[in-house]
Amino acid sequence: MKDLHGILFAYRSHTNLGELTRPRNTCSLPFGGRYRLIDFMLSNYVNAGITDVGLIVHQSYQSLLDHVGSGKDWDLSRKHGGLRILPPFGYAEKNYGEYRGNMEALTGVQSYLKNIRQDYVILAWGDIAINLDVSAMFQQHLESGADITVVCSPEHCSSPRSCDYLTLDPDGRVNDLASHPTVVNQELESLEIYVMSKQLLLDMVEYCSAHNIYNFSRGVLQPRIDTLNIRPYVHPGHIARFSSVNDYFDQSVKLIDPKVQADLFNPARPIRTKDQSTPATYYGPNGVSLHSMVADGCYIEGKVENSVLGRGVVVEAGATVSNSVLMQGTVVRAGASLSYVIADKDVQINQDRSLMGHITYPLAIAKGSIV
Amino acid sequence: MKKECVAMLLAGGQGSRLYALTSHVAKPAVPFGGKYRIIDFPLSNCINSGIDTVGILTQYRPLELNSYVGSGQPWDLDRSDGGVHILPPYQREGEQGTWYKGTANAIYQNIGFLDLYDPEYVVVLSGDHIYKMDYADMLAFHKKCGAACTISVLEVTMEEAKRFGIMNVDENDQVYEFEEKPPQPKSNLASMGIYIFTWSKLRQQLIDDEADPNSSNDFGKNIIPNMLNAGEKLMAYRFHGYWKDVGTISSLWDANMDMLAPRGSGIDLYDTSWPIYARTPIRPPHITGEHAVISHSSVTSGCRVDGRVENSVLFHSVTIEEGAQVDYSIIMPGAVVKAGAKVSYAIVAENVVVEAGAQIGAPPDGSPEWGIAVVAADLTIGGGAVVSPNAMVRENVKGGERV
Repeated sequence: MKDLHGILFAYRSHTNLGELTRPRNTCSLPFGGRYRLIDFMLSNYVNAGITDVGLIVHQSYQSLLDHVGSGKDWDLSRKHGGLRILPPFGYAEKNYGEYRGNMEALTGVQSYLKNIRQDYVILAWGDIAINLDVSAMFQQHLESGADITVVCSPEHCSSPRSCDYLTLDPDGRVNDLASHPTVVNQELESLEIYVMSKQLLLDMVEYCSAHNIYNFSRGVLQPRIDTLNIRPYVHPGHIARFSSVNDYFDQSVKLIDPKVQADLFNPARPIRTKDQSTPATYYGPNGVSLHSMVADGCYIEGKVENSVLGRGVVVEAGATVSNSVLMQGTVVRAGASLSYVIADKDVQINQDRSLMGHITYPLAIAKGSIV
Repeated sequence: MKKECVAMLLAGGQGSRLYALTSHVAKPAVPFGGKYRIIDFPLSNCINSGIDTVGILTQYRPLELNSYVGSGQPWDLDRSDGGVHILPPYQREGEQGTWYKGTANAIYQNIGFLDLYDPEYVVVLSGDHIYKMDYADMLAFHKKCGAACTISVLEVTMEEAKRFGIMNVDENDQVYEFEEKPPQPKSNLASMGIYIFTWSKLRQQLIDDEADPNSSNDFGKNIIPNMLNAGEKLMAYRFHGYWKDVGTISSLWDANMDMLAPRGSGIDLYDTSWPIYARTPIRPPHITGEHAVISHSSVTSGCRVDGRVENSVLFHSVTIEEGAQVDYSIIMPGAVVKAGAKVSYAIVAENVVVEAGAQIGAPPDGSPEWGIAVVAADLTIGGGAVVSPNAMVRENVKGGERV
């Protein structure tokens, strides 16, 4: 895929994710035991043969930088191209807050965009968990003659207040886009993953920069919906989007389903992540693990049920973990009991403590806390 | 650029005592301990000891090993100067060139490689040992003693000593005699096959040894005795800790079981101060089903377990279906054990399919014929088939058949 350039927006922190996004932006949220959300789109790009990726960051991106590093785990550490981290260079004087929208983010890296050596660009948010066949989408874009191809889901997978919805004309062309509506009447949910030519993107960025337009959906797509040939690419597979702690919990537990796992972690398009050389997971003589997903490096002597465990989690003898998501390095001491709990990295639950959330309100414990 | 110390890893042997497990791969590439291959241990020891230039001498079935080592990236051995180098035998101008005739000859043929880095010291390692060791400590000992050669030794029982190369030493641990498998051992210091040489001394010894038509060009048989006869200073470096030669089926099985032992009793793979690195497959975390029973076992990414797994080591992407039973066994990457199948005291190699109701191996019954059953890679064991203990299966077994 020598002719496609990848852009990832990795600057937003979902405020609704509470404790989970306090120390990091949503893209570096741990998910699925050993992954961060950014791994999914980054791997999708790489699996389609994309060699040049720009990662647009703004605030609290330290944990993201730590994770992606030089990009070598995605084979993006290259002599030419490869991974480029794009902080808001030369942009600080305009606005000290977060980017107001993705067009503003693109304006912030305008000089980078001008130097893109490919003719086409794919743009996506880095905080969606999806195994997308980017090659097939790009192929469809070229064959359909569309100006913009947008990835859509036939099922609604997130909250309407944070999504775009599309209506098609009989010819299959997008003729209406509803951005963040209160009620959804449309069939297709937009995943806000777009392919277009580099030239079209540059023209839009130029125009938006000159007119103080910062939102792509409302400022560009809606006003130009009649003149631009926008076509959907319908993704049939599993999609996880996150706009609340509940979403995070539900989506995590869904991964235990072998069908979801087979789709999201399709061996033909593997999701890559930072390699940490963790040893195997050890189950003690009385360890129990039922209907759970467990990453490497765990040490399990207690009971684990309906849960997702990140790397290096310790569950001591006599401890019980059910319906919970424990991120990397969580330690559950002997006799402790957890139910409907999300423990962020390096949380320690001391002996005989009992913590219980509810299926409709899982209890999120901040990174590094000691209970 | 000049390096103080370069490691040479002997990885060319066939490992014939692992039989079917090394019919397609060199011994150092045999999977070990759930996430590793044997070669990960010496390679990780090198990088953890600060050695950044390693030559890997390959000869037998090198393809999988070469592809596994690759650029050396998983061990941080991808360097602009130094790093990891695969060194196969090669042809020379005007003559045929030869295979590596012995361990010493393998190094002899690569004198040119070592001269590129002009090292003061060369560490010679084997590709079939499981241990964690700081070669920097051993090198410091070598320098302090002003030795020409330092040999790492392990204290074994006098009974075990009969099976090893034994170093007889004076009160300062200077070696005065080397005996290969002595029937009446005089010492219990067994050579671990880890040597540090002062390169200028070894270089001359290799050249002299090559000129001797009667030599078998082997470190243990020729180089060490020759150096002793020449009056060189050879020192024994006492190593304390876990060390295992995994050159046989039973020792490979034993060493895998040792990895399951409680922390601190054997080799601690969870100790982050001395990590063992590996090239990790890109697989999601393992998932367990509603019926999974897993005790005293290790499980890795990509596995699906819905059956019973006890006292066993599962490598990546292994499937244990509901109703299947695995105990005291080693199941290598990609193998599938279907419903109702039973695997006991066995080593099942990569991508083997054990069909429903088949049975592989059995617990020890005290008979002298008993042993670990082994199934070679990529085979299918048909439904209801029986593979008896100590069997070495190299071909598909049909349903209901008994081998």
